[in-house]
Amino acid sequence: MASLDMDAKGGPKFVGDPLKIPQIECGAMADSKTFAAYPVHNEDLGFPGELLDNWKEVAIAKIGELADKNRAFKVYLDACVKCGACTDKCHYFLGTGDPKNMPVARQDLLRSVYRRYYTFAGKYFPWLVGARDMTREVLDEWYTYYHQCSQCRRCSVACPYGIDTAEISMAARDILDSVGVGQKYCNEIIAKLKKTGNNLGLNPKALRATLEDLEEDLEEETGIAVKLPLDVQGADILLITPSADFFAEPHIEGLLGYAKVFHASGVSWTISSYASEAANFGMFIGSYENMREVSWRIRQAAKDLGVKRIVFGECGHAWRVGYSFLNTLAGPFDFLDQNYPIPQHIMEFTSDAIDDGLLKIDKSRNDEFVMTYHDSCNVARGSSMGRKQGGQFDLPRKVIKAVCNHFYEMERDTIRENTFCCGGGGGLLTDDLMDLRIKGAKPRMTALQQVTEDHGVTHMAAICAICKTQFSKVMPKYGYEMDNVMSVHQLVANAVILDGQETEADVATAEDTP
Amino acid sequence: MSYDVNGATIEHDEEGYITNLSEWSKELAGIIAVAEDIDMGEEHWAVVNFLREYYEEYQIAPAVRVLIKSIKKSMGPEVGNNKYMYELFPYGPAKQACKIAGLPKPTGCV
Amino acid sequence: MVSTVYAVLFYIATLVLVVGVVMRVINYARTPVPLKIVVSPAPRTRKGVWFRMFREVTLFESLFKSNKWIWLFGYLFHFGMLLVLLRHFRYFQRDVWGWVEIIQPFGIYAGFAMVAGLAGLLFRRIFQQRIRYISDPSDYLMLLLFLGIAGSGLMMKFVNHVDIIAVKAFMLGLMRFQIGEMPRDPILMIHLGSVVSLMLIFPISKLMHAPGVFFSPSRTQVDNAREKRHISKWAAELPDLPEGIPEKKEG
Repeated sequence: MASLDMDAKGGPKFVGDPLKIPQIECGAMADSKTFAAYPVHNEDLGFPGELLDNWKEVAIAKIGELADKNRAFKVYLDACVKCGACTDKCHYFLGTGDPKNMPVARQDLLRSVYRRYYTFAGKYFPWLVGARDMTREVLDEWYTYYHQCSQCRRCSVACPYGIDTAEISMAARDILDSVGVGQKYCNEIIAKLKKTGNNLGLNPKALRATLEDLEEDLEEETGIAVKLPLDVQGADILLITPSADFFAEPHIEGLLGYAKVFHASGVSWTISSYASEAANFGMFIGSYENMREVSWRIRQAAKDLGVKRIVFGECGHAWRVGYSFLNTLAGPFDFLDQNYPIPQHIMEFTSDAIDDGLLKIDKSRNDEFVMTYHDSCNVARGSSMGRKQGGQFDLPRKVIKAVCNHFYEMERDTIRENTFCCGGGGGLLTDDLMDLRIKGAKPRMTALQQVTEDHGVTHMAAICAICKTQFSKVMPKYGYEMDNVMSVHQLVANAVILDGQETEADVATAEDTP
Repeated sequence: MSYDVNGATIEHDEEGYITNLSEWSKELAGIIAVAEDIDMGEEHWAVVNFLREYYEEYQIAPAVRVLIKSIKKSMGPEVGNNKYMYELFPYGPAKQACKIAGLPKPTGCV
Repeated sequence: MVSTVYAVLFYIATLVLVVGVVMRVINYARTPVPLKIVVSPAPRTRKGVWFRMFREVTLFESLFKSNKWIWLFGYLFHFGMLLVLLRHFRYFQRDVWGWVEIIQPFGIYAGFAMVAGLAGLLFRRIFQQRIRYISDPSDYLMLLLFLGIAGSGLMMKFVNHVDIIAVKAFMLGLMRFQIGEMPRDPILMIHLGSVVSLMLIFPISKLMHAPGVFFSPSRTQVDNAREKRHISKWAAELPDLPEGIPEKKEG
């Protein structure tokens, strides 16, 4: 197959193989450096502001501490046999060819130091097992390459022992933070969330204004007063959604979709201005304490508002934290209604609403779109949905198919548990890593180009704020428009007809009737 | 890292966003726009002015949708649409226009 | 003299292997798991996890899905070795169990399978660019050590017969703490010497992947985080965070 020619007129004609393995190119991404956090951001998170004088001792001690506190970290560092099964699984390796982006090589950046100080072989025969001293060069290399891992876990699926590079990458960032070397993107955002309740820094007044503006839009569109309630005491449902849903496209369209589904289902719901964020970047930096603090706000808001249920909006890593960690970090949720999963995903809610016949749907309203679906990595490999194993794959597809007539799957090895990261996950969705993001998106974009060639797919839906932003930025580099990525609930919003809503069809019939 | 406005030094961060928002001026906006390779016309100024007004009121940049809606009202649908906004500010109305308007960079998954 | 040296080595190696592995396993088991980190889709019941792990250990399911060549060579090596090991039971039993008798001929073919698998893995390690990049000297040496053990074993069967009756007598003696005479056969000495080395390095090397796989949280946890609260001891002891929204109360 011909290689991808992005400059070809009218987009690439011959689509490559999304799984094509590149030749190794040592140092290809060695110069990728994400901006360092300012001292004030590090300190807001409880880390030293700047590189400590005794950073080396602190870093080495931190490795030991993590090995004692986290079985995964210890077992994963010990158990790797370097079989090589993971080496062609990382989208950043496939996109860049830099061998340090092969999952095992990325782990080895830290494993080599762990071995030197914490294993018999590494202490006495370092050359034999590739052990190396902790040096400034090593620290810098960690900063460079652990910020080229989106913690998507595709490699973990491939590993015979389930070794999860995300765990190593989170640990490495935790060690970096603990010696005063933080990343600006993540740490600034976490600091902001602690002050304002969301990653954007949206204050309650601005949030209320935004929601009112959206209510206006909805009423204009449907003729019905669909509400986007804020801080409503005693509502049944607290919606926890990424703040990008209040700000960016196509995220906002998804938020309008949730509002329509809630409205049609007749439930009372609210957003909280205190916990106005689903995202939890504490996970990206591997900090249990920060992740707990961010999660805790959801508990506080739920208690204060006296809600019965918590529902999460479309956000990938937030759903991993919500589904897998929230009960641990901010539980037990004995004060909520135990008849519903805690928390629940909006996809579960919409799926149930479809099953219960609560939604009136006109699929033809999405006929202009030929859809495919991008499984977001954290949803696919770090969570589940619904009552059956694999619900995180099946529910979104079920909902899409319920509201769209045209749907095609991408290549088998690039979807479901084998899905590729969008290229911007794990705290890498920042402009200073744009080169990496474009290259890392290549496998997914190639798989998309395949279905565009084969089935005329025009749009790709996703349920993650990071995926949506990333794709709207990188899709133009691969021959698509920025709005070719859509929220799943945007499709729902298009197709749902609310009770009493006047549609074009109604208008047409009215005109036909003499 | 700083801009030079009539001899005055105005600090900015790695990406060109000014660090002290009160130091913004029309001249500075022009200088940032030049650095961004943008030729400021009437429509650009309409966006920048709206952003500043909105920021004054809410201490944050508006959602792109809100911005477009407002521009649509004031300048008509030919200007007030997503596509045209990206023609005005190729790197996105949220980020690039904010930079010129002297607003902080929108953070998060945006 | 040689017999005594080997006998002592065997005792030490056995002690190191057993104590070393047991200590590591206890250490793994005692190390807390702060979060539910199952790699999904994952079973939602304990029974389902047992089934998943059974498939992983007996079929190398994940490896099969991710890389057919490594799976093929790895499978040949591991299950060849398993049969060979079982076949060796007869050296430690005065009255050999029936099933050990039955597998004897298969065990010999398994020896070839083991060598073929090892050779394939070594070949890939040397000639496959990506795997060569991630290999340390110990990774090659480990394969060579296994090849040495398997090769010397096969040589004793097909090239240079050893007095296995005498070997068996020596082994049975060791098990009763009686040091008998070991045949002075250079190939046998290489064979047993490599086995001793392997036992010695087992607990301090990547061979710990064998018990380690049973302690990999991403595979062994049950996917039930929403239903059952998972909390580690150290996390449970973290200082409490405030209930209710502080700003609101102040204002």
